[in-house]
Amino acid sequence: MLNLQRSLTCLICRRRSVHTSPVLTTFWEKDDKGGYRDWKKMPPLKDQLREGLKDLKTEIGVWAQEMKERFEGDPILIFRPGEVDVQWRFGTTESLNKWMATSDADNNEGFSTCSLTLTKEGKGLFSGTLDKRIPKDGKVKRSGYCSMKSLRVRKSFKRDSHLDWTPYNMLVMRVRGDGRSYLLNIHAKGYHDLTWNDMYHFVLFTRGGPYWQVARIPFSKFYFGSKGRIQDRQVSVPLDRIASFGITAGERWGGDFHLEIDYIGVEFDPNHREEFAYEMYKTESGIAST
Amino acid sequence: MFLRSLAKYGSFFCKSQYSIERNFIRHVQVSQRKFNDKSEKAIVRKDSFDSVSDKNRQTYLDTIKMFINQDHIYRRGHVEFIYSALKNMEEFGVSKDLEVYKALIDILPKGKFLPQNMIQAEFMHYPKQQQCIIDLLEQMEENGVMPDIEMEPQLLNIFGKRGYPLRRYWRMMYWMPKFKNLSPWPVPDPFPTDTFDLAKYAIERITSVDVNSVVTVYQSSDIPESIDDTWIVSAQSKTQQTLLSEHELDKPIYVEGPFTVWIRGNPINYFVLRGEPKPLIEGDSDPDDVSKLRPSLFGLRPPVTKFLKVIPSVHEQEDAVIFSVCATGTSSKDSLLSWIRHLEKDGYPNLGKIPVVFKLRSGTKEVINPDEGKDPKDQLDDK
Repeated sequence: MLNLQRSLTCLICRRRSVHTSPVLTTFWEKDDKGGYRDWKKMPPLKDQLREGLKDLKTEIGVWAQEMKERFEGDPILIFRPGEVDVQWRFGTTESLNKWMATSDADNNEGFSTCSLTLTKEGKGLFSGTLDKRIPKDGKVKRSGYCSMKSLRVRKSFKRDSHLDWTPYNMLVMRVRGDGRSYLLNIHAKGYHDLTWNDMYHFVLFTRGGPYWQVARIPFSKFYFGSKGRIQDRQVSVPLDRIASFGITAGERWGGDFHLEIDYIGVEFDPNHREEFAYEMYKTESGIAST
Repeated sequence: MFLRSLAKYGSFFCKSQYSIERNFIRHVQVSQRKFNDKSEKAIVRKDSFDSVSDKNRQTYLDTIKMFINQDHIYRRGHVEFIYSALKNMEEFGVSKDLEVYKALIDILPKGKFLPQNMIQAEFMHYPKQQQCIIDLLEQMEENGVMPDIEMEPQLLNIFGKRGYPLRRYWRMMYWMPKFKNLSPWPVPDPFPTDTFDLAKYAIERITSVDVNSVVTVYQSSDIPESIDDTWIVSAQSKTQQTLLSEHELDKPIYVEGPFTVWIRGNPINYFVLRGEPKPLIEGDSDPDDVSKLRPSLFGLRPPVTKFLKVIPSVHEQEDAVIFSVCATGTSSKDSLLSWIRHLEKDGYPNLGKIPVVFKLRSGTKEVINPDEGKDPKDQLDDK
């Protein structure tokens, strides 16, 4: 009700030239990047067309492969317990092309820097500096985050697709951290704008030191958030709708961070029976999720 | 148009036209007097926390008490006071004190902000006050302070059961206990302030990978040639001792560092004593290879291959064999030399014969606060 009222007043106030209050776009999302998409950074249309035509050949190849797999119809049916199916392994420069690293400085909202590179042993290295200083623009309340995110899963001709992790129930990562904790994000973006910001989070604690660690995190532990806020009505990760995966360094304390990653995989553990770790209580109507 | 001229010549109207209703005239008069009279600052109140000279918990609570006692009946400026109180928490060292947060919430009057009908309840009655307490709760969350059961009736009496601060409180009481003890490496409580204690905890945390690790504290002054006089926290397990004693004498071992481990925002430098990684022995039998299977004939079992291999310990990492980990008080090369001497004394007479290479990064990095490192103005100009 409140949301509806806000958006209605918004529609009215948008016609005015001077806003007396900040515009609240509560549930209507204009843009899947949440207003961070900058069309000015895109190359001119002519270049885009040329690049697109260049991609055509590879895309037809991908499409042909898809068609072939469809007619073969040979899906994996048995998922042996204890076997890690690696989704992303770091080690080559091609493996880094599937990821992008961003920080708050990219959106002029802070001064952190980060990079995703290879170590000399051939592992992925997500490192940088967290800077907690707040730019004096009067809008940003707090800053200091760096993030790496896998590129959106796509079918041929750059159509959006999803990863299907339904047979698995564990996320397995082999990492070597620096004692900081990181946030793991599973992005389950759907078709409608309501689901564009659906994310499932959990913390990755790192030990620090020269030893590698294998973190096994059940998907049932991931909690549901949207735009960084934990939601009241919790649901478990829709494992058939994984759009991308990300790791965020955003501790309260600034400074350098350093996370080496060997692989990120998924596993089926038959001993893990939990479906969702967070119990829900019934509340009066209009109390939760408002 | 009439109103504008009224505002402009308000006082004139007041004097000449007594026929206009009294309240209305007074209202215009007051506003004009306020704009004209610059000396009397009725709206802008001085931050009462700035004037406190001795900044501690007691004076903080006293300032709150003073504010409450100023005016019992027509108390005003709660929101501004609470916001300034929140801003000054760090200086008074009370940012982790639950009682202080509760005292701040207690400033708001009970019963005055309760919604009286459905519409008020739905449309965030007294929004400034509600948002102020939401910001207070958010600050609590950021500082890791968990509310207690007493806060619920407090918020209930101020904003009613449909107030947004109360909902935020419920959310905090649901999630914060769940996340409080989540870390597999919990930091000690109370958090150590001494660097030595922190370094000891850091080394314990690093070597928690092997439960047999023993943390030893050496003093570099025990070595006669040492220049520095500082502590060395070193850790080694039985397995690492065996690995070190098995190490070939002609192959060098390395002292590497400093690397950083972060303990709750505190960077601790540590050093590693490592050897070259052991070559990976490929098993000559591939378990998935079915081409060379010998079928059993006449009930004869196929011969069991005698292929024994020592399971590599956790210290034999793929990029190094780690013999020991240490942190020293000065992180200097001299203190590391004392560390090697101590290890030598502690049962590795051979360590003197093995060439030890110091691969230290150029200069030990000073522990600085990155927030103070650069001038924010420069950064802003860069953008």
